[in-house]
Amino acid sequence: MLLEIKGLTKRFGGLKAVGDFDIHVDEGEIVGLIGPNGAGKSTVFNLITGVLPVTSGTNMFRDRDITRSQPDQVAALGIGRTFQLNPLFPEFTVLQNVTSSFQLHPCSSLFDIFFGTPKYRRNERFIREKAHEILSLVGLSKEANDLARNLAHGHQKMLGVARALATKPTLLLLDEPLAGMNPSEIQYSLDAIRGMRDNGITVLIVEHNMQILSLCDRVVVISFGEKICEGLPSEVRANSEVISAYFGADYVC
Amino acid sequence: MSEVKAVLAPGGDPADRGEASRAKPRRWSGIGAVGVVMIVLALLPLAISGSYYMHVLILAFVYVVVSSGFRTISISGQFNIAQGAFMGVGAYAAAIPAVWLHWSPWVTIPLGAVAATVVGSIIAYPFARLRTVYYAMGTLFLGYVIMNLITAGGKTTGMSTGLGGVQPLFSNRTHYYYLAFGLMVVSMACMYRFEFSRIGVRMKAVAQSHQVAASVGIGERRNRILAVAFGSFFTGLLGAFYCHYQGVASPSSYGLGATLLIIMYVLVGGLNSFWGPSVGVLILLVIPEFYFRDLKGDLPYVTAAILLIIAFTLPDGIVGLVNLVKNRIVKRLGRGGLPQQPEGEVRADAPGD
Repeated sequence: MLLEIKGLTKRFGGLKAVGDFDIHVDEGEIVGLIGPNGAGKSTVFNLITGVLPVTSGTNMFRDRDITRSQPDQVAALGIGRTFQLNPLFPEFTVLQNVTSSFQLHPCSSLFDIFFGTPKYRRNERFIREKAHEILSLVGLSKEANDLARNLAHGHQKMLGVARALATKPTLLLLDEPLAGMNPSEIQYSLDAIRGMRDNGITVLIVEHNMQILSLCDRVVVISFGEKICEGLPSEVRANSEVISAYFGADYVC
Repeated sequence: MSEVKAVLAPGGDPADRGEASRAKPRRWSGIGAVGVVMIVLALLPLAISGSYYMHVLILAFVYVVVSSGFRTISISGQFNIAQGAFMGVGAYAAAIPAVWLHWSPWVTIPLGAVAATVVGSIIAYPFARLRTVYYAMGTLFLGYVIMNLITAGGKTTGMSTGLGGVQPLFSNRTHYYYLAFGLMVVSMACMYRFEFSRIGVRMKAVAQSHQVAASVGIGERRNRILAVAFGSFFTGLLGAFYCHYQGVASPSSYGLGATLLIIMYVLVGGLNSFWGPSVGVLILLVIPEFYFRDLKGDLPYVTAAILLIIAFTLPDGIVGLVNLVKNRIVKRLGRGGLPQQPEGEVRADAPGD
């Protein structure tokens, strides 16, 4: 099992944002984490990546306890992530956004960087090449030298994905990758996510948009911080609890 | 991935080639300009030997480094108002052993740099929790506390009158000039390298978004401490040099007063450009002392006017203005303009960097 989360709980003062939440992700899967607004989906992401401290529960990644790890340590272990809002470095160009995200593979020591040793130059050349590759993979080659803050919203999201890919993740956490995208961008993104899986990256997606269901091997539904259902996309679609969580109990036939 | 490679193989995409060919001449003209300035400064003592002007330039070298140190810390998003106090830490760490233990200045000056680095790094650890205006406020009080602790040292630190009798390095001012010049060149080279390599990229990433930075493995605390340690090393170094040059370590030369001067130089020159602090020192320190000494009484008003004009109209300082004008001219000539970013652009990916 790649990621295993047990009894994850987060309280903000008296408010329980996530309660006793379990989820596991196997290697090579695409798992969807869906739920209505404010259900705690993004909170779960922030708890996994160490952005928020966990109240109780354990997060295991490749049999390592990452419950108390800092965000940069989690990234170094191989969990990449994207953000819902402001997913980039606005004052860097698109290319710089990607090259700056290559901190881990390959990694130059401070000594190498400061003195510009041949190893550092080799790494930087390699990074530039790889960055161009990733940009063409997400369809941003033409924008490589634009400032990131001038990008259209959909492109910014794709750049967020490109940045996450630069960390060479084993597990990629995508936080609402489709939010605010137009239909053609959505199609492109769905294909891109499928492509990542085919390249051996396991994906966990938080999403509102039900179009994501077509992509997932397994779906976990969360509402008010608790898991209400888990299963194949088709099962989840038919589940009455899910329908009532999204549309209210009146709509359940 | 093979079709991806095919797209990229023949010399990269056109936009990228354009960038590279534009970058080359700019790079060389920059190196040329720096070289000319260095040669002029190296030969200047032949013309102005022993005069007051040499004193002004020594002071300017000190402030160029200390202000650039402030800016180096600021690229990681930290507006360190304790900079003048760090300078004081370096000065007193050199002066106290020099006066009371009669250590050689060649030992105490590096010691001042190390002391400022150690104090800076220890302080940076808890301060890495603070951001933006809270960081600035915290370091403002911190600088005040450091200077008070120093002056509270009784006879050891000479209290508010300062610690006199710090033994001089040389008897000849020209020697001081060349030492200051050398220290400046080395410090600036190190800070340049720091900023325009992957280290600087990390700092700028942390400054723009600590969350996004962490998500790609750039730890905020680690890098912010590194920036403070690096910046305060050179600050302490020049602080220690300065007290040996003056022959006295007095609280009035360091602390908040010095910080205010530093911030003025940096903001007038341009916070977003590597050469901003140097230009600020040139405009607010060197030129007034060289040409407008008879204005002395009115100088604060002129300075205030300059500061206000800059604050309201030129957020990127004088260097920002120069870049703007340069861009206009290049556009007129129909060469399509320079890249949008000012000089402080991140160039870790420059070929042959």
